[in-house]
Amino acid sequence: MSQEIKPRQRQGEFGDKVKLGEKAVLEEKRKGSKTLNEDDDTKKKVKPVSSDKQISNAVLLFLTAASLITRFWDIGHPAEVVFDEVHFGKFASYYLQRTYYFDVHPPLAKLMFAGVGWLIGYDGHYLFENIGEDYIKNNVPYIGLRILPATFGALLVPIAYLIMIESGYPIITAAFAAGLVLFDNALITQTRLILLDAMLVFFVLCTLYSYIRFYKLRLREFTLDWWFWLIATGVSLSLTTSVKMVGLLTFATIGVAVLVDLWELLDIQRGLTIRQFRKHFFARAIGLIFIPMAIYLFWFYVHFAILNTSGPGDDFMSPEFQETLHGNVMTYQSHDIRFNDTITIKHKDTSVFLHSHLERYPLRYDDGRISSQGQQVTGYPHEDTNNYWRVKPAIPFFDPERPENDVIKHGDYILLEHVNTQSHLLTHDVASPLMPTNQEFTTISVDDDSRYNETIFQVLLSNGEEDTKWRTKASHFRLVHFDTKVALWTYDSVLPDWAYKQQEVNGNKNNLEKSNYWFANEIVGKNVTEEMHPKKPTRELPFLRKFVELQRLMISHNSGLTKPHPYSTGPINWPFLVRGISFWTKDSTREQIYLLGNPFTWWIGIGALSVFVGVTAADAVSRRRGIHPIIDPVRNRLYNSAGFFFIAWFFHYIPFFLMGRSLFLHHYLPAVLCSYLLAAAVFNFMFVNSVNYPISASATKKRIARVVLTADVGITAIVCGIALLCVSCVVYVYFAPITYGTPGLDVDGVLNRKWLDTWDFHFAK
Amino acid sequence: MDTDTFRRRNPGTQSSPRKNEQLLSKRQNENNEKDKNYKEVAYKPLNSEFNKFGSHYLKREFYFDVHPPLGKMLVGLAGLLAGYDGSFEFKSGEAYPDNVNYAWMRIFLASFGAGMVPLAYYTAIELDYSQQSAILVTLFVLLDTAYLCISRFILLDSMLLFFTCTTVFCLTKFHNERKNSFSIDWWIWLTLTGVSIGCVSSVKWVGLFATALVGLYTIEDLWDKFGDLSMPKIVYCQHWLARIGCLIILPISIYMLTFAIHFAILINSGPGDAQMSSLFQASLIGNNFNENPLELAYGSKITLKNMGYGGGLLHSHVQTYPSGSEQQQITCYHHKDSNNDWIVKKPREVAWSEDDEVELVKNGDLIRLLHASTGRNLHSHMIDAPVTKSQWEVSCYGNDTIGDDNDYWQVEVLDDMYEKDLQTVRSLTTRIRFRHKVLGCYLRAANAILPQWGFKQIEVTCDKSNNVKDSYTHWNIEHHWNDKLPPGPKAIYKSKFIHDFWHLNVAMYTSNNALVPDPDKEDILASTPDQWPLLKVGLRMCSWADDVIKFYLLGNPVVWWSGSLSLVIYLVLLTWYLIRRQRKYQDFPSDAQWNHFLYVGKICGIGWLLHYLPFCIMGRVTYLHHYFPALYFSILMVGFLFDHFTVYLAAKTRYIIYGATYFLVTAVFWFFKDIAFGMDYPASEMSNRKGEEEKIVQALKTNALKKCAPQIQEFVECSSGRMISVAWVCRSKLKLMNSCLKNFTTEEERDKLRLKYIASRKNQ
Repeated sequence: MSQEIKPRQRQGEFGDKVKLGEKAVLEEKRKGSKTLNEDDDTKKKVKPVSSDKQISNAVLLFLTAASLITRFWDIGHPAEVVFDEVHFGKFASYYLQRTYYFDVHPPLAKLMFAGVGWLIGYDGHYLFENIGEDYIKNNVPYIGLRILPATFGALLVPIAYLIMIESGYPIITAAFAAGLVLFDNALITQTRLILLDAMLVFFVLCTLYSYIRFYKLRLREFTLDWWFWLIATGVSLSLTTSVKMVGLLTFATIGVAVLVDLWELLDIQRGLTIRQFRKHFFARAIGLIFIPMAIYLFWFYVHFAILNTSGPGDDFMSPEFQETLHGNVMTYQSHDIRFNDTITIKHKDTSVFLHSHLERYPLRYDDGRISSQGQQVTGYPHEDTNNYWRVKPAIPFFDPERPENDVIKHGDYILLEHVNTQSHLLTHDVASPLMPTNQEFTTISVDDDSRYNETIFQVLLSNGEEDTKWRTKASHFRLVHFDTKVALWTYDSVLPDWAYKQQEVNGNKNNLEKSNYWFANEIVGKNVTEEMHPKKPTRELPFLRKFVELQRLMISHNSGLTKPHPYSTGPINWPFLVRGISFWTKDSTREQIYLLGNPFTWWIGIGALSVFVGVTAADAVSRRRGIHPIIDPVRNRLYNSAGFFFIAWFFHYIPFFLMGRSLFLHHYLPAVLCSYLLAAAVFNFMFVNSVNYPISASATKKRIARVVLTADVGITAIVCGIALLCVSCVVYVYFAPITYGTPGLDVDGVLNRKWLDTWDFHFAK
Repeated sequence: MDTDTFRRRNPGTQSSPRKNEQLLSKRQNENNEKDKNYKEVAYKPLNSEFNKFGSHYLKREFYFDVHPPLGKMLVGLAGLLAGYDGSFEFKSGEAYPDNVNYAWMRIFLASFGAGMVPLAYYTAIELDYSQQSAILVTLFVLLDTAYLCISRFILLDSMLLFFTCTTVFCLTKFHNERKNSFSIDWWIWLTLTGVSIGCVSSVKWVGLFATALVGLYTIEDLWDKFGDLSMPKIVYCQHWLARIGCLIILPISIYMLTFAIHFAILINSGPGDAQMSSLFQASLIGNNFNENPLELAYGSKITLKNMGYGGGLLHSHVQTYPSGSEQQQITCYHHKDSNNDWIVKKPREVAWSEDDEVELVKNGDLIRLLHASTGRNLHSHMIDAPVTKSQWEVSCYGNDTIGDDNDYWQVEVLDDMYEKDLQTVRSLTTRIRFRHKVLGCYLRAANAILPQWGFKQIEVTCDKSNNVKDSYTHWNIEHHWNDKLPPGPKAIYKSKFIHDFWHLNVAMYTSNNALVPDPDKEDILASTPDQWPLLKVGLRMCSWADDVIKFYLLGNPVVWWSGSLSLVIYLVLLTWYLIRRQRKYQDFPSDAQWNHFLYVGKICGIGWLLHYLPFCIMGRVTYLHHYFPALYFSILMVGFLFDHFTVYLAAKTRYIIYGATYFLVTAVFWFFKDIAFGMDYPASEMSNRKGEEEKIVQALKTNALKKCAPQIQEFVECSSGRMISVAWVCRSKLKLMNSCLKNFTTEEERDKLRLKYIASRKNQ
């Protein structure tokens, strides 16, 4: 966040109590009215800012050019599918084919890829099945697709530069930040490929940039510019979130900054009435909450509008949702089930049929518990006549007026007769073979009426209402036992040899659990074509309902991504660059792409973080003892600007510790960018030790602040900055072969680059 | 005190209802999950688990448990006071011998729970609550059925709660002395705070959260004083020193002292031996190491102990790795069985047979280790280890004749405790390392836990780096069998206390870490932290089918809900006041009052957070009783808020409000007490023939609970999902249930059972 010191003349009597910084409030009060411009150290020679302007533009231009070169160099290599291009290339193809797919990330970035693909005339015929498949052979315009992320990746450099300039740092500091971004191998690797992260990090930086611009205008509240940058912040935020849900962390960053800002506006000494404060509050709520939400929803609207055909994502969705898609198998194969139909029943999660056979449960299990010795009921994955069950009405509940073959509805009570053995499905209070807590399922002969009550089940459809019909394929249902209220349930655990290793079926006491759902697979003997429906979607769902369903699934699947991956790493490893990710290898040329940051710049980043924490801690301790070691303008800048970057780093990093899903090094990329910004701010603190002031626009355009400071950049700063960047550049070039995947390296080449034992490059022997 | 006798009479009912022990088996689960055969144990009543620890003390046998020893030593002490000599095994179903005054033992332990009540009162007074509020807090603690329940069992929780209460009490006392620094009282309360946190941490490691509260308070206090420029620097340093002495050194000393006493009492070999280092085991009376031949020879059968802190015995079993080489697993394990036995062989190339002359293993020799029960060789290869991916996997492969060079290990002798000559390998005292011949890596076990497929045992790897100082690569021979060699000379081994102390703590930490929820096993007793504050599912401790015991651990809803609500209200209040202060409204007459508001908030709010949040984050299995310490802080908060809102009311109104609350909590307690206890009996009814009569009572209860299962279930169904409306909506069901229970607990029924019991006795 930018410079904080207000022109004192504006606030009249409150003038010298105006707070100096988020954390500096208390200290400043204590110090009383010690004014800044009286401090000799801060009085720097005043020189016209405009002369710097040209240099700055030249530097910006140079950096942008360099950035474009580093990102676009040999972008056609490798002409093969690399790492997660498998997913995101595929999704772009699905958009172009308009087939429905499911992914845990929001749609924006994938829509962008599809858009580019459409512009360059790609028809989406290729599905990116495996890493290493040849693009040229498959006739995919992959370079066009890769240009999109590479462009965003290249723009990171100028944006980083502008963030530092806008925050009031001199050119060398801004160039330092941009240089760190420029030479980061991980950012280059990640942004040259068909992946989402280029867009993500770009929008993250856009957010920071817009917010800084907005904050600088805080003295011109409610002007056009002010509104523009407020809304720009909101839009960037929502674009970030529309690429990946990680954008929520950016929300948290901006959220904290806004809360601190509001808290200061609330201060009575700021002189705002509650009405004015409310206006501020609602302006931010609109700009930073409502507008982003609307934009986020908009992409989903586009998503649903494009994907109107049945595809690989169908199975994730509810039957209602699937019925909205063209050509959905479920829709035209679904029939009403009537009493006395014979059906097969399949478990939704584990895809096994409800099965029974003549064999009985053994009297004693290995753990000494005893069974009912009834006929076994199991889950069986293959088609078999032993999967046939006839649905019969439960007499006591059956309305005699209903026809014998009436359609079954939600809530009806039924009996299930196992056709081959002529017995009724039954459950009772006997522990199941594998789970002492759950009830055993068995069957009882149809002639035996003595336990009729225990054979009655209720069909409860998901989202069922009173008149919802029970249909094959389309209705998911729970089968709840009338007598004991347990639900028919199975899970992937197999019974011992006496049940031929088939899956255990038992009664789940928690009958509301999600895994209790089954569906009727088919009605035996009913020909599919008999009542074929037209292949048109049969249903329209309101957009919001579709959105809520998809969003829920995205969240639950995202946290369900816990399958261990050989290259997943814990967050603690990331800042220290303990391990990278192998993206792609080619044995014949010994080429490989290995995602690894530039070790030098990454370690500068983590070093800067520790210096920042150390300096602020030391400052806090000495202030507590009444010593003020850092001059105020520099200190305020350190707290407000570097502090803001620190918070951004913190929020883009720490929450990963709480996430259960498998995590990868590239999740750290937004945080590493924040650490570069912080590194530049710390660099400024160490080598320049003065700042440009004021950088916030004053209340009225005409009035010029009384004090104008310009950062005093010494030769040391320039030399150090350039030296550090040179080293970064050398390290970047050294690691370039594994960044760009060419040229191939011999064993020594690989081993020399293996600075840490944990970097598991290929071809190391 | 169990119904096993009855169970044996009726073999038809497979697992006849156990009674109250439901809660107990939960604890047991916790303690035995590390044990492979926990299933078997889980059916024993849980009460006996801690009794057992008590009796270990009385018999002075070494045992191992994940909790520090203080709590269990107190149980042992209670047993001692009750005249119990440890000879009686707390096995289910046996009658208590006459010489055990069982009631005394229970009274001693229950008094910890009882002690909470006055502590709550005085803490409230120290926190400056009004008299009415203090009584309110006291009543809440007194009438919480969960507290009541838990302190009646022989569990560590009542002691944990008691010491948590003393910690808070001492801290508030100390806070009130803050103006009289270095006065006698100031020193007394500072010291007592230190003693309290020492005790609470020595009962369970959960006590560290209370320690953290004291720590945070102290840091803030010192930070304030740091800003006080008028305080002489020397005085400031004295403040530091006083706290370091009383709050760091003193508690650590107490913690270590409990271990010292623990080791001093347990001088006999017992079930926990294998957790400790070989030397420590050798120092226990009754160990069987004295038959070990001294020097290792080819053909010897040995067990190998890892010398790192918490190290186990080198182990293998027929199960294979699910990934990697998919060969037979090698682990480190703390349980002694025949799968730990290894036979020392020569490389296959060297001709050697069992009948040859005894040949000692020399430093630097190449050997093969053959797993005695499966006949496979200890083996390593260039495949990443399953957990520690950077090292090589170690597996068990081939057999005596089939194999390759990867089965050969070089013995490297590091040193020996008594001998200068390092040419041979001596049992117990020689430290050795095993270097893999082909890869040059070292056999290592560093307390990384394998997933469920490895039974949560410790991973064994081959370490690529050659770090001589790494004690996890050091091994010693623990057991040694060789018919051809004479038993070694008897020696008295002594291990250092500090070494044993660390070793035991690391072992506790490792087993504690292994207590993660097992997705393959449904644990109906476990609950998740988000269910606790609202008493949601947590109160239903067991299922209600006929084959499980029915026991209902239930907090007093008024206490639990108002506790959680008060935390929310405090947060809202705090925000409200902060915003108003920013607008310069004076809500508090003086800064001191505002500071007091914050101070109580810190003690109660942060205390609650510290005792609650960690459970949300940590991955281990959690149970309802983990919330009990946090509950105490929320109760204190209730009292504070009552005060806060009523302070400006007329005395009469106040009396009405407090009176109504007292009445409400008492009434709800009365309403729920039957469920919480199943059935409660006055002690007088059990005065004669305690053992037998008690069994009959238990049987009666069980019987009643079983017979009334439908009614109970109806009530439970009605009450689940409801909050306060339980009181009227489920009233009829409760009545039905109570009347049913009453029907089956009449004197008549009891006589029936007596007869049955006597009859069953005759049959025996």
